[in-house]
Amino acid sequence: MNKLDLPIIEFTDEQVKFRKEVRKFLEDARDSGTFESKCDSWLSGYDPEFSRKIGSQGWIGMTWPKKYGGSEQSAIERYIVIEELLAIGAPVAAHWFADRQTGPLFLRYGTEKQKEFFLPKITEGSCYFSLGMSEPNSGSDLASISTRAEKTDGGWILNGSKTWTSGAHHSHYMIVLCRTAPKDPKYRHGGMSQIIVDLTSPGVSIRPIKFLTGEKHFNEVFFENVFVSEENIVGTEGDGWKQNMQELAYERSGPERMLSTFPLLGELISVLRENNDKQGLKETMKLVARLNSFRLMSLGVAQYLEEGKDVSIAAALVKDLGTKFEKDIAETARLIISSVPSVHSRKQFEKYLAQSILHSPGFTLRGGTTEILRGIVSKGMIAE
Amino acid sequence: MSEMHELILDSTTKILKDICTKELVDKSEEGQWAGDLWEVLVESGITSIGVPESTGGTGGDFVDAFHILRLAGKYAVPLPLSETLIVNWLLAGYGVIPQEEPVTFELNSKLQLEKNDAGFLVNGALENVSWARNAKKILVLASLEEETFVTLLPLEDAYIENNNNLAGEPIDTVVFEDVMVNDIETYIVEENTLQEKVIDLGGLSKAAMMSGALDKVLELSVQYIKEREQFGRPLHKLQAIQQHIAVLSGETIAALTITNKAIDSYDKGTTDNEIAYAKLKVNESAGIVAEIAHQIHGAIGATHEHQLHHLTRRLWAWRDQFGNENFWAEKLAEKIMDSQSQTLWEMMTEEQMIETMQ
Ligand SMILES: Cc1cc2nc3c(=O)[nH]c(=O)nc-3n(C[C@H](O)[C@H](O)[C@H](O)COP(=O)(O)OP(=O)(O)OC[C@H]3O[C@@H](n4cnc5c(N)ncnc54)[C@H](O)[C@@H]3O)c2cc1C
Repeated sequence: MNKLDLPIIEFTDEQVKFRKEVRKFLEDARDSGTFESKCDSWLSGYDPEFSRKIGSQGWIGMTWPKKYGGSEQSAIERYIVIEELLAIGAPVAAHWFADRQTGPLFLRYGTEKQKEFFLPKITEGSCYFSLGMSEPNSGSDLASISTRAEKTDGGWILNGSKTWTSGAHHSHYMIVLCRTAPKDPKYRHGGMSQIIVDLTSPGVSIRPIKFLTGEKHFNEVFFENVFVSEENIVGTEGDGWKQNMQELAYERSGPERMLSTFPLLGELISVLRENNDKQGLKETMKLVARLNSFRLMSLGVAQYLEEGKDVSIAAALVKDLGTKFEKDIAETARLIISSVPSVHSRKQFEKYLAQSILHSPGFTLRGGTTEILRGIVSKGMIAE
Repeated sequence: MSEMHELILDSTTKILKDICTKELVDKSEEGQWAGDLWEVLVESGITSIGVPESTGGTGGDFVDAFHILRLAGKYAVPLPLSETLIVNWLLAGYGVIPQEEPVTFELNSKLQLEKNDAGFLVNGALENVSWARNAKKILVLASLEEETFVTLLPLEDAYIENNNNLAGEPIDTVVFEDVMVNDIETYIVEENTLQEKVIDLGGLSKAAMMSGALDKVLELSVQYIKEREQFGRPLHKLQAIQQHIAVLSGETIAALTITNKAIDSYDKGTTDNEIAYAKLKVNESAGIVAEIAHQIHGAIGATHEHQLHHLTRRLWAWRDQFGNENFWAEKLAEKIMDSQSQTLWEMMTEEQMIETMQ
């Protein structure tokens, strides 16, 4: 069935060399104490100084045009950098969404002014975005959102609230999906738009919601008569749903959908090798085979995305399989090595294991739940 | 991938669609040799694909060849195609013209040869030999005095005890008891190197065939949930069924992708752990897919009448041939144990550079 045939990506020698350079840079940074490796660091590792460092390496907005601060590299070079950042568990949360999603959104739909204003700052690693989609009453059923913007002189007045917004408490801006026309039951996906909200605007209040670990990652964000300039609409008024859905293919198929707990897997192998535990290694290598397969899928999707092909089914499958896999690493690790997982442990293994277990509920929820993804896959497979 | 890749696959698909029907596969399982299909495969050059034209083969590369095996799996071809191809590939290395008759191999055990005036006396038993009862010759390891070599022996005078795998394919026991052969060609080998090569070729062949079978199982399942209605609507409208189809699709795409990578690297001569990863993952997917597909199909899928079992029984049989999950995982474990200086991430990402390999 050709819906499921993906291209096989082969890295060139230059790309392999480039990967080694990136790795060396990151290992040096970690070893000199610039950061501490962590699982799920793309959600929980907030470090603006590190983001600026990455920016000055040219590793944010890598595929974007040079005139906006990018370095016009291919999607594969970007993929390599992202993989290295995740594999080592570097703190990339601050700039993550801007690099992955908002920048490409601007490049696709933004005005020249928006591109000139935002993109260079994003690539420097000093301008952070969060994604305002979910609301208290609209999770999986995103089309039911009720946050709305009403036309006023020179712009919009925004009212409503968003929730679960990752990193909003650290971000400068939020891309808010909101209604710009009343709900129409006959056309559920119409009447929505994407607007840029400056989070320092009067009327915006941000309240962190403690994650189950007690840490602060996501937030409730309230908009009370917030004025948004008409220049801040992204793309076409009323096309917000379509634009937002296009972003999701990027959101769903990246390496962060399988590598969130990779530091634990790497550590597991190290410990097993030290212990000369062949049986444990055997079980672990079964996980590695799966990871290899999902990684090849994700790379194939990245290639097809760059070629402009429709990969919505494969992208959803990458996330479905990859995020379940992230959880399975922790479940396998804890059975292979008896330990007392704790985020305060002096043993790296126990620390990573604790981080992985505690963060695991989010893996299969954020970015569209497994159940919703499977619905998308199934409908795609049924369609002729 | 050779220039004729698409062409070869299209014509193979056409042949198999026309000839390799459910009835043919059923008959084969009842013991009837699918000779007509074999003739067509030989005539169209499929049994010697991947053997260079200069050695009398069809040419084409291993990408072509393994994709043909994927089709063979998809159509449940009841013939020793992969066995014959593997023998032809191994012997092509010694400049031997490809066999047109069906042949098989067993290279794990060793036969004893004794030279006398008339020729050679062969003794020894081989187990689980695929398609022995239908094959004309068998490639074996044999030792004569101090020397070990491979040789292609006729099967006509061997005693064959029939046995079948879960899919009803022959996996016979072959006994040579003072069998006289007049003349043999011997090819010197290093035993371990040969066995490594055979397990790789066998593992990859089975992974390719299983990918094809997985692909077909998914196709049948999608078709079924569109047609079958319960509670006044097609099954695919039911969420539980949608979840099943998504899992099936996921396991299938994972298996296809990793197998394609292994095929690619084998063809380029850069194979490192790719075949191990592929066979391991495909085996795992096979179990999941077979279970779900049967669940989706309800009772009809568990009947002999329905086509599904031709594929699911092959998946169950093939996942244990040329290495189950534990076999390949152990190989990988030894590998990572032996390369202490490399982290897992290095092992996963440092692809063999092609220049240095050649
Ligand atoms: C760590 C984390 C970070 C997040 N960051 C962000 C962010 O930055 N921005 C943002 O906008 N959102 C964010 N989210 C929210 C996320 O997108 C939602 O959690 C997700 O879309 C699901 O919505 P919900 O939590 O309201 O669950 P619900 O939609 O209420 O779902 C509850 C359960 O019902 C199931 N379900 C719902 N509908 C169906 C259906 N039709 N068929 C079958 N099953 C169904 C779901 O799969 C789930 O199992 C984040 C979530 C997490 C956990």
